[in-house]
Amino acid sequence: MKLIGIVGSNADISYNRYLLNFIKRHYSGLFDLDVVEIKDIPMFNQDDDQTNSYPIQQLNQKIMAADGVIIATPEHNHTIPASLKSVLEWLSFKIHPLENKPVMIVGASYYDQGSSRAQLHLRQILYAPGVNAIVMPGNEFLLGRVKQAFDEEYNLTDQNTVDFLQTVLEKFLSFVRLVNRLEAPVEEPLPEEDLHASQPIDTTIEGVDMAAEDWVEQAAEKVNAVEGDTYVKLNRGILTVDQINTFLSSMPMELTYADENNQFLYYNYTTEAEDMLADRVPGQVGNPLVLCHPESALKNVGWVIQQLRSGRQDVVRVHVPTHGPDKFVVHNYQAMHDAEGNYKGINEYILDFKPIVDWYLKQTGLKLDGDIDAASGASQKEEETVDAGSGASVKS
Amino acid sequence: MKHLIGLVGTNSSQSTNRKLLQFIQSHFAEEATMELMEIKDFPVFNKPTDSPLPPVIQEAADRIEQADGVIISTPEYDHAIPASLINALNWLSYDIYPFVDKPVMITGASYGTLGSSRAQAQLRQILDSPELKARIMPSSEFLLSHSLQAFDEENRLKDASQIEKLTGLFADFLIFVDLVNQLVQAHDSNVKAAENFSWETI
Repeated sequence: MKLIGIVGSNADISYNRYLLNFIKRHYSGLFDLDVVEIKDIPMFNQDDDQTNSYPIQQLNQKIMAADGVIIATPEHNHTIPASLKSVLEWLSFKIHPLENKPVMIVGASYYDQGSSRAQLHLRQILYAPGVNAIVMPGNEFLLGRVKQAFDEEYNLTDQNTVDFLQTVLEKFLSFVRLVNRLEAPVEEPLPEEDLHASQPIDTTIEGVDMAAEDWVEQAAEKVNAVEGDTYVKLNRGILTVDQINTFLSSMPMELTYADENNQFLYYNYTTEAEDMLADRVPGQVGNPLVLCHPESALKNVGWVIQQLRSGRQDVVRVHVPTHGPDKFVVHNYQAMHDAEGNYKGINEYILDFKPIVDWYLKQTGLKLDGDIDAASGASQKEEETVDAGSGASVKS
Repeated sequence: MKHLIGLVGTNSSQSTNRKLLQFIQSHFAEEATMELMEIKDFPVFNKPTDSPLPPVIQEAADRIEQADGVIISTPEYDHAIPASLINALNWLSYDIYPFVDKPVMITGASYGTLGSSRAQAQLRQILDSPELKARIMPSSEFLLSHSLQAFDEENRLKDASQIEKLTGLFADFLIFVDLVNQLVQAHDSNVKAAENFSWETI
């Protein structure tokens, strides 16, 4: 996580600067802190807009790029220093980098009060509409009597203080994650998928009942589909239809083609349903996807296709654990696109990863960490997070 | 006749707070004299360690020292007083103490509806800090909202009820100045506290 720490004083000697540098050094395992100075930033004056000056723009960029901001303020005259206020005025005049930015306030002072009043004023200022930062509530860190607080290397000497500061910082990290999630753009809901395949596309063969057992034969007749030893020119090669079939049948996986109208058009039929990883029967081909899945799975099927069509995910993988520990069967739903990048449907390839992993382990001599069986170990995790697949290929 | 300072709480050349003070200056000219003090030429305060005070600061401090009272008119920037006013007050309490026990009245004008209410509340706290320790007139809030529409072409307040309120407050402030001059019991310790206050050592 990347944070920036603003030294809220332009003075040459500032215990707030020591404090931020200590935070940077001592908690470097928790986050990266970039400590920035404000002393080159001019006094705010609305008559003389210097928003585009280098020091202001540099600070602006750093704040915008950071996940969160820590401001360390001293207290002068019961409030924050003019120099810090001036910075905040610039950062709320024409530009607003602190808007929705998680901010934590710390402060050091020579007195017992430890900048308590300044911190409250700062909080009020950060809430102002032009600034609009999101300040971490509670968790005040007031460092009083600073002259006694640091050793010669500017480390905090009191272990309780160091520990307390750590818990406050850890809370701030959680706060940053929370706020950044709160402010993340809400994903637009995607349009519903029409699993009934009722919106024909250019390649849809119309006038044939999609549910017919002999859809393939009827549709082939309708379009005079070539077969056998007829040559087909492909994007880089020529094969006969028989050769294409041989080639696809030899793929070490079960391949299924569904077009962008959600119609099941093809699978590389080599064996009967009971011997397949995901059972398919010849009569199913041509069906709209709604007929290829049980009712209970349709919601997940729709979700997977939404991801692929919208491009939010290029591939959705689902482990199906029902094949026992000797197999690690994964249904891979791969989005297909044409040369222009238009969505063209799903290439679902189903394969058992186990032989691949075993072969890899044998060739390399490596062992799986923790002596956990690859298949069962991973499958438990998958089962918890995904449950789209189990139904996806069960025939209706 | 009492002599007052009207401290313009911003460095902006366009300021309805300046207008408000100018109005007070002319409207109450029979009751007291008032000179306006500008802060835009004050350098940026950064706790200089040994250099002498800039002449502009020393001169402002002397004028406040000599005045019977100060009226500060503040805008509100980001729920607080402007950096330029904080800056002025930092200087005017840095090893000099012109505000200690000085009668002060706060006014404020803002473009919006709230009339600088938050800034005024903070300014009260600030003026109460040990190194400023002004005597702030209590229960005397004067908030001028929608200040861009508040003045006519001759820079007079348009709203008669606002003028009436200001008249009352101004008269009270002159009495408050006399009252404060009687509050001498704590003066020595206030001065001592301010002098003992150090930005570096306590």
